[in-house]
Amino acid sequence: MAAEKWVLMVTAQTPTNIAVIKYWGKRDETLILPVNDSISVTLDPDHLCTTTTVAVSPSFDQDRMWLNGKEISLGGGRYQNCLKEIRSRACDVEDKEKGIKIEKKDWQKLHLHIASFNNFPTAAGLASSAAGFACLVFSLAKLMNLKENQSQLSAIARQGSGSACRSLFGGFVKWIMGKEGNGSDSLAVQLVDEEHWNDLVIIIAVVSSRQKETSSTTGMRESVETSLLLQHRAKEVVPKRIVQMEEAIQNHDFSSFAQLTCADSNQFHAVCLDTSPPIFYMNDTSHRIISYVERWNRSVGSPQVAYTFDAGPNAVLIARNRKIATELLQRLLFFFPPNSETDLNSYVLGDKSILRDAGIDGMKDIEALPLPPEINNISAQKYSGDVNYFICTRPGGGPVLLSDDSKALLNPKSGLPKEA
Amino acid sequence: MAAEKWVLMVTAQTPTNIAVIKYWGKRDETLILPVNDSISVTLDPDHLCTTTTVAVSPSFDQDRMWLNGKEISLGGGRYQNCLKEIRSRACDVEDKEKGIKIEKKDWQKLHLHIASFNNFPTAAGLASSAAGFACLVFSLAKLMNLKENQSQLSAIARQGSGSACRSLFGGFVKWIMGKEGNGSDSLAVQLVDEEHWNDLVIIIAVVSSRQKETSSTTGMRESVETSLLLQHRAKEVVPKRIVQMEEAIQNHDFSSFAQLTCADSNQFHAVCLDTSPPIFYMNDTSHRIISYVERWNRSVGSPQVCSFFATLSGRCYEFCHLKHIFVLSILSASARENSYISFP
Repeated sequence: MAAEKWVLMVTAQTPTNIAVIKYWGKRDETLILPVNDSISVTLDPDHLCTTTTVAVSPSFDQDRMWLNGKEISLGGGRYQNCLKEIRSRACDVEDKEKGIKIEKKDWQKLHLHIASFNNFPTAAGLASSAAGFACLVFSLAKLMNLKENQSQLSAIARQGSGSACRSLFGGFVKWIMGKEGNGSDSLAVQLVDEEHWNDLVIIIAVVSSRQKETSSTTGMRESVETSLLLQHRAKEVVPKRIVQMEEAIQNHDFSSFAQLTCADSNQFHAVCLDTSPPIFYMNDTSHRIISYVERWNRSVGSPQVAYTFDAGPNAVLIARNRKIATELLQRLLFFFPPNSETDLNSYVLGDKSILRDAGIDGMKDIEALPLPPEINNISAQKYSGDVNYFICTRPGGGPVLLSDDSKALLNPKSGLPKEA
Repeated sequence: MAAEKWVLMVTAQTPTNIAVIKYWGKRDETLILPVNDSISVTLDPDHLCTTTTVAVSPSFDQDRMWLNGKEISLGGGRYQNCLKEIRSRACDVEDKEKGIKIEKKDWQKLHLHIASFNNFPTAAGLASSAAGFACLVFSLAKLMNLKENQSQLSAIARQGSGSACRSLFGGFVKWIMGKEGNGSDSLAVQLVDEEHWNDLVIIIAVVSSRQKETSSTTGMRESVETSLLLQHRAKEVVPKRIVQMEEAIQNHDFSSFAQLTCADSNQFHAVCLDTSPPIFYMNDTSHRIISYVERWNRSVGSPQVCSFFATLSGRCYEFCHLKHIFVLSILSASARENSYISFP
């Protein structure tokens, strides 16, 4: 195949996910093997997703990657591990239409172009590496015709970013920690799909933060090295919570789900505080949101909303159903109205139809929101500007291929990023 | 002794204290027995203290108490327990000058007037109960001529407010958790006196807070009931830290002292966060202070300052207003040379 210019491409879209039983701490830094199981909910890719186009061509002289339009290095260990694992499992590929035939052995010598794009800001701390590595692995697996199943692919994605393995499935997903030293049994499985509990509505509050945060990788390593509570959590607490959480999800038991989700989020942050130096991911706004939710839940008598926070101040709020989500959004807009320069259209993103259900069409409606009944006047203070914006979403499906060429991020002839 | 109007009085002053290895969680709510040992540093009463006057007279017809000028009820369990414990140990008292003689058996029928005053604001989220109950017990013990030693008195103060037992001594103090069900061995002992490590300087930042805080009593009960990390802390972590802390104090080992103090403060707050509902005592300002101290310490290479948080209020510095407190223990050389702490 001399001086060939063909380009073979695959474009895929992958969701991101939020852990409800948290992963925090590795027992192996290179293979990214965790100290405990974790469970997550996959978010609707309509609202939050990574799109990746992978291309191969004999005319490419090196592996290259562009992330959100900017070229990045593939030299790091995580990218190298993923590429190596995928290449070693590549199979024969034939595109009869285009007259392209790639044999298994050819893959080692062929180079790749990869372009990836997140439809949510990386700076907003919304687990972009999870979606990103999941998409990379999924799209390359399609391109190279891997025979591995989704769980086996998740074990490869895991080596790029731990939580990426959970983005290989929709619905509720468990990352089994595994026992093997080589990590072959540390992979994700789907617990239930996205239709199983489709009552749930998820509202994310992207909270203002001036802090530069400790990265998850650094933070969890420091926690493993210095927190005297972490091992107890991993060995004694999480295993029981995993069992209870699986049951709660299977049985649509929202009360148990909420109690476990909130408790595990708080315990994760407790371990961060127990680290040296201490890590503070939540700020006063995060605490306030927790207080409002706790108070509302207790006033109703049983949990209506669950909260969980990852390695940042953003709140992920999970409402029992659409009606509760509407009431939740009203409360959030009451306590965190947009400041005067912000327009509503950029303040509530994702599924905006919730605003209509909440009777909110513009600023006037927000100003007219009544004091939530469970609040007494003393704590009715508002905090305009403390939340950057909200995203309304729901549990969603796993990775999908996009056959529509217009969605591809690379030019099908040159294999280079399309002009913005 | 008919229609006698004599009044016998004792006035005492007691310091407050800050735990460096924290007490958080009881194994007995009535006797106030903790789930782990704790160690504290007593603060200079010149700056923070409780003053209490106790008086007895046959003309008093009931026990009465005034706190910071306002009459309060002595009906609650904690006051009643302390008064009962002290009265049962009262001895003969004689004031020859005034010609007053009280026999042991008389104490049960005599009533007390108690006035107490804190020279620091109670509203500032305070361990005023620690200093307060310690002073109450100490002054009544003097009045009623108790033969008990200071540690035994601390076991009585403990029943008013756990951390009060540690205010019966100066310097560094340990509250031994004890094993007995009746709490007779749950008491405070002095580790070293205040001269042992008099290089240390303490700066307290009283931080603005609009939050109404969860009381220690409620908070620690909720933690015992709901935190899955608390028992591990109490059984596995604290015992080792107590040993290491005693050593650090004995040896003036500031690096170890600082590392342990900061770690234990953070772990206490971690357990609060692990409670349902979660308890947040520290706010963004508290976190900022910790970050500055951590950064400074790391830049020097060894701890110069350790920061820890308690529920005590104190003198205000230029950047503070009310509520939470943050205590800095600074190794004196640094304090004198670099006594700036500027806040952006």
